[in-house]
Amino acid sequence: MIVVTGATKGLGAAIVKRLTSKGHDMFGIARNTANLSVEGMSCDVSSYEQVKTVAQHLKKKGVTVDAVVNAAGIGSMNLAVTTPPAVTQNIIQTNLFGTIYCSQLFAPLMLRRKQGVIINFSTIAVALGLKGESIYTASKAGVEGFSRAFAREMADFNVRVNCIAPGPINTNLLKGVSDTQIQKIVSQQIIPKQFVPSDVCDLVELLVDKRARSLSGQVLNVGGS
Amino acid sequence: MTLNETIKFIKMKIKESLKQDGVKASVNSKMPLIGNDSALDSMMLIGLCLALEDRARDEFEFDWTSETAMSKSRSMFRSVHSLAEEFIKQQRAQQ
Repeated sequence: MIVVTGATKGLGAAIVKRLTSKGHDMFGIARNTANLSVEGMSCDVSSYEQVKTVAQHLKKKGVTVDAVVNAAGIGSMNLAVTTPPAVTQNIIQTNLFGTIYCSQLFAPLMLRRKQGVIINFSTIAVALGLKGESIYTASKAGVEGFSRAFAREMADFNVRVNCIAPGPINTNLLKGVSDTQIQKIVSQQIIPKQFVPSDVCDLVELLVDKRARSLSGQVLNVGGS
Repeated sequence: MTLNETIKFIKMKIKESLKQDGVKASVNSKMPLIGNDSALDSMMLIGLCLALEDRARDEFEFDWTSETAMSKSRSMFRSVHSLAEEFIKQQRAQQ
């Protein structure tokens, strides 16, 4: 079974759809599960206790967890000096703490079998240092650092940990970002093209596959940086 | 399972792990399981937790990711004895 957080919106929903179509058993996690198309549970990943409840549920069910995709995240395009502390807190809590909580609480479900995959989500903004995304970038830089170190901790248990760092993919996260801004970011990528959710799904598919067994602790920048 | 049986079980598992890795160390109840003075690496520690989880399986759920596992001052991994105590505490709480 593959666990996906943020499973009802944006990239998370696209990943659930893709992996389901490829025959994987899916378990979706989202704050609101009304639109969830697969088995799952309601959970706010920024809450350690709520993530733990989901982990205990999966453990009790005795399901085999093959992979965890931490796609839940929030964005905010603001200059740091105009970002209220509550927004900063929310971004760090959801993007960084949420990823850490899900990784540390779901990893034990894979340790016993000495096999597993964790995919975390960063952003190309970390590599490019984009103006107006400093808080968001800080949260995702934390995710990258955590993922690299966590990959080493998990290596003895044959659990691979990698990050996908998309550029501006057309999802709800881009609401309010102008086409000019998007093109400016895209122009800084090695491949100056705006990629789509299915490109990210391709990478997820690759990373959960055995053919990616040599990859761990890596950050895959979509479009290149 | 009693406290003494749990201590005995933990010591046995540690001895097995150390032997496999060719590490010579005396195992007693006060032996720390984390920190610089511990003879166990993180893989051995997780292996020990999984063994305790297996041992508990039919009776109760042993949670080694709880707050007492993480806390530096109150960590269940302070010693063989404190881990055994936590195991028994969780066993009693769920029965």
